Amino acid sequence: MNVGQAIIDGTEEVFTTMLMVELETGVPVQGSGGEVDSNITSMLGLGGADIRGMLAVHCPEIVAKDITGTFLGMEVEELDDDVKDAIGEIANMIAGNLKIFFQEHDKNIELAIPTTVVGKSFRTAGMSKAERVAVPFTMNGATFLVELKYMDVV
Amino acid sequence: MGKNVLLVDDSKTMRIIIGRSLRQAGLDFDNIFEAADGLEALEVLEKESVDIVLSDINMPNMDGISFLREKSSREAMKDIPVLMISTETGEDIIGEAKSLGAVGAIKKPFTPDKVNEVLGPLL
Repeated sequence: MNVGQAIIDGTEEVFTTMLMVELETGVPVQGSGGEVDSNITSMLGLGGADIRGMLAVHCPEIVAKDITGTFLGMEVEELDDDVKDAIGEIANMIAGNLKIFFQEHDKNIELAIPTTVVGKSFRTAGMSKAERVAVPFTMNGATFLVELKYMDVV
Repeated sequence: MGKNVLLVDDSKTMRIIIGRSLRQAGLDFDNIFEAADGLEALEVLEKESVDIVLSDINMPNMDGISFLREKSSREAMKDIPVLMISTETGEDIIGEAKSLGAVGAIKKPFTPDKVNEVLGPLL
């Protein structure tokens, strides 16, 4: 089960289909992470009988504005509710693709509704026994991170 | 075209994108109504003439499945077709939606061509 590749495939599909943008994809990183350089993070809980976890999309301000502006076809000036909504929907669609990936491996998950927060630096805590896979992507020269933490339900 | 559509999604961004996809697909509606959840959708259907509903599944307050269930119990709106547009693709939840009257489903992310392919024959 190649979770890193699933994150790559799921994220690239969202961006090529909905934003007509080709991303530069970095190398998946496994293991615990420290602080993430991000100004806006959207998180989505994954629950269910087989897998429990969390998907997060961490974006610097410039990427978040770029994504939202491309989505809405307009210039975006600040990290407002439109930006939170757009990044939340990106996280939602990536999580949907990961749900299909896990289903193909006989693991069912349910998706929660995204929560998006604005700040300066983020560290995700909890789920100490969880697997963590994070993939950096670059859009128009700026990098954002898609992070998945998950663990089998025992 | 002379038809009205209702878009139900808790994401304003997604409602804008679906509306744009309808236009890009050449599906021009007279009116595009919007609702952020199932409760708001029921209110719109009480007041407006709607020919078809495009609805998300995962939404706060009243989700798409509960919306379908409630809508099917109301005589005045039970026959209005609903097409699901959602990240949910599982046979169980889509099957439940169809058992409650949904006429089909489109997976997010989607292209205008996909919207046209699924929605076009329903109009």
